[in-house]
Amino acid sequence: MNSKTKQRINRILLWVLIVVMAFWMLFPFYWAINSSFKSEAQLAMMPTTFVPRDAATKEVSFNLRNYEAVFTNQAFLRAIVNSTIVAGTVTILALGVGAFAGFALGKLRYRGKTGTLYIILAMTMFPAIAVLTGLYAIITNLGIPPILSMIVTYLLFSLPFTAWVLTAFFKELPTEIFQSAQVDGASPFQTFYMIMLPLTAPALVTTGLLAFIGAWNEYLFALTFTSISPDSRTLPVVIANFPSQFSMQIPFGEIMAAGIISSIPLILLVFIFQRRIVAGLTAGAVKG
Amino acid sequence: MAKAGSSDLAKQEQRLAYWLLAPTFIILLTIAIYPLLSVFYNSFTNNVFASSAPVEFVGIENYQQLLSMTIKTVPPKLDDAGQPVVDANTGAVQYESAVAVLPREPVRFRQVTQFNLFGTQFVLGATDPNFIRAVWDTIVFAVATVFLELVLGMIVALIVNANFKGRGFMRAIILIPWAIPTAVSSQMWAYMLQPNRTGFFNTVFWYLGLGNGEIPFLSDPAWQLPSMIMIDVWKTTPFMALLILAGLQLIPGDIYEAADVDGANPVRQFFQLTLPLMKGTIAVALVFRTLDALRVFDLFQIVLGQARYSMASFTYYQLIQNRQMGYSSASSVVIFVVLSIFAVIYMRSLGVKSDEQ
Repeated sequence: MNSKTKQRINRILLWVLIVVMAFWMLFPFYWAINSSFKSEAQLAMMPTTFVPRDAATKEVSFNLRNYEAVFTNQAFLRAIVNSTIVAGTVTILALGVGAFAGFALGKLRYRGKTGTLYIILAMTMFPAIAVLTGLYAIITNLGIPPILSMIVTYLLFSLPFTAWVLTAFFKELPTEIFQSAQVDGASPFQTFYMIMLPLTAPALVTTGLLAFIGAWNEYLFALTFTSISPDSRTLPVVIANFPSQFSMQIPFGEIMAAGIISSIPLILLVFIFQRRIVAGLTAGAVKG
Repeated sequence: MAKAGSSDLAKQEQRLAYWLLAPTFIILLTIAIYPLLSVFYNSFTNNVFASSAPVEFVGIENYQQLLSMTIKTVPPKLDDAGQPVVDANTGAVQYESAVAVLPREPVRFRQVTQFNLFGTQFVLGATDPNFIRAVWDTIVFAVATVFLELVLGMIVALIVNANFKGRGFMRAIILIPWAIPTAVSSQMWAYMLQPNRTGFFNTVFWYLGLGNGEIPFLSDPAWQLPSMIMIDVWKTTPFMALLILAGLQLIPGDIYEAADVDGANPVRQFFQLTLPLMKGTIAVALVFRTLDALRVFDLFQIVLGQARYSMASFTYYQLIQNRQMGYSSASSVVIFVVLSIFAVIYMRSLGVKSDEQ
């Protein structure tokens, strides 16, 4: 009896915590959605309202103008295309090259393995800001176009990341498969290509997903390398420096609408691949 | 197995390994090591980007300009009788202007901050107060966020590790702040922190009778850092929680059953079982997060612009706004060194090195 009430109290406490946590995580989104449906006049209301309300009548009133403005905003539409190209290409490159490295690091025996593992681990923590000036100089001197610059330089963080995470996944594959294939006369590369790679397909999806999110969200390089070519800007750069079409004021309603639109793909990915993302993130950081 | 054959295989395997690693290492050499060396070299020059002035080697001048600091005592203001002037309202002693005591030759020092120690007023001066302030702010930001994220991340991890209906859904929800672009979340929070009652926080504070509804969260220096910390804690606690969650799941459940039998209450179990077992996980999470926090850029650049710098946003503005290639390179090198020191200290003091393979 006593322990039963105790259990019930624990249960209630747990749910209180869950609700508080969910509220904390989601409220800023709710606020962004709320603001994205407000007209300029509604945004200027003081005190602000927790659902979009008409300024005069206080009736609930949703306004779609921000979404219309965003979807006719050339800079924003171009940014969606740019972001997709950059993040997509980076992901494919990082996966392709990183899978080679991950297989070597995870499964092959060779001299100098510990050293190479340390280098890759150190590179996953490499501060991009430290090489910003150097990369910027190279890119401007050689006249490399911004989109290509972003694709190449993003490998600085996505390549070590994919290599490291895939190393962890390759390590988990049983060595017997590898050995028996060799006994059957397959060369190590054939073993890798025809047996190991298909086995790691789920891991490739997970790692690719994380690399994609990282590249999609990158801001420092994108901002720097597109500073004189607005046409090449990616979503984070456009959202952070939103071009106002009408007024001198910061168009927060449109920014919120644009922010929500560019977050939706990520939120969908998170809900579909929740398990995999958690596995991939922790494989990269905790195991080793 | 024939001995010759197996060693042939081993050789073949080794050769393959080098071939497979080559592309990764060549790419990293080109986009990390070469630029890093060029940044290092540039930091000793007066290179100004896109200028026709010849590039000269200036030795450690950039570093001197970035890092020179001095501490001077500030004398109190004296009245005609030679007594210190005291403010009639607050009773506080009035001090001379700091400009008067800071050196002006050969380079000018400007005030970073003033402080009082044992009744003497001191001023900390620097040749580039913006950079010194950026370093200090970034370190404060990193320490505060990592600490808060560790505590809150632990709580969140314990919650989503518990058994309840909709656990998978909750785990997806905590991934959202982590997954969306920092550019988006920075703008969301900047809007919530508007300096009048169009902002969420000012409205709520005003309803609660706190403040006048016009708290300048993002322009008042006293509020800027706490605001940045709050935003980052929201955004990054999920990541911390996931790392901790992975560690929690490695702990075998029967340990807790044994502890239950022994009558240890949950709080004691947490401090005497969970925490010690999680030491390795927490250490790794701390390293990752601290290094991340020290190079914070997006948040500061988007929300505060040039009102207040982090180390990274300072470097960015020196390069893009002022075109000071040499100077921003020097500040890049300083960041690199600070980050490396933190990484080594952490790895050493928490024994990560021996755990890592």
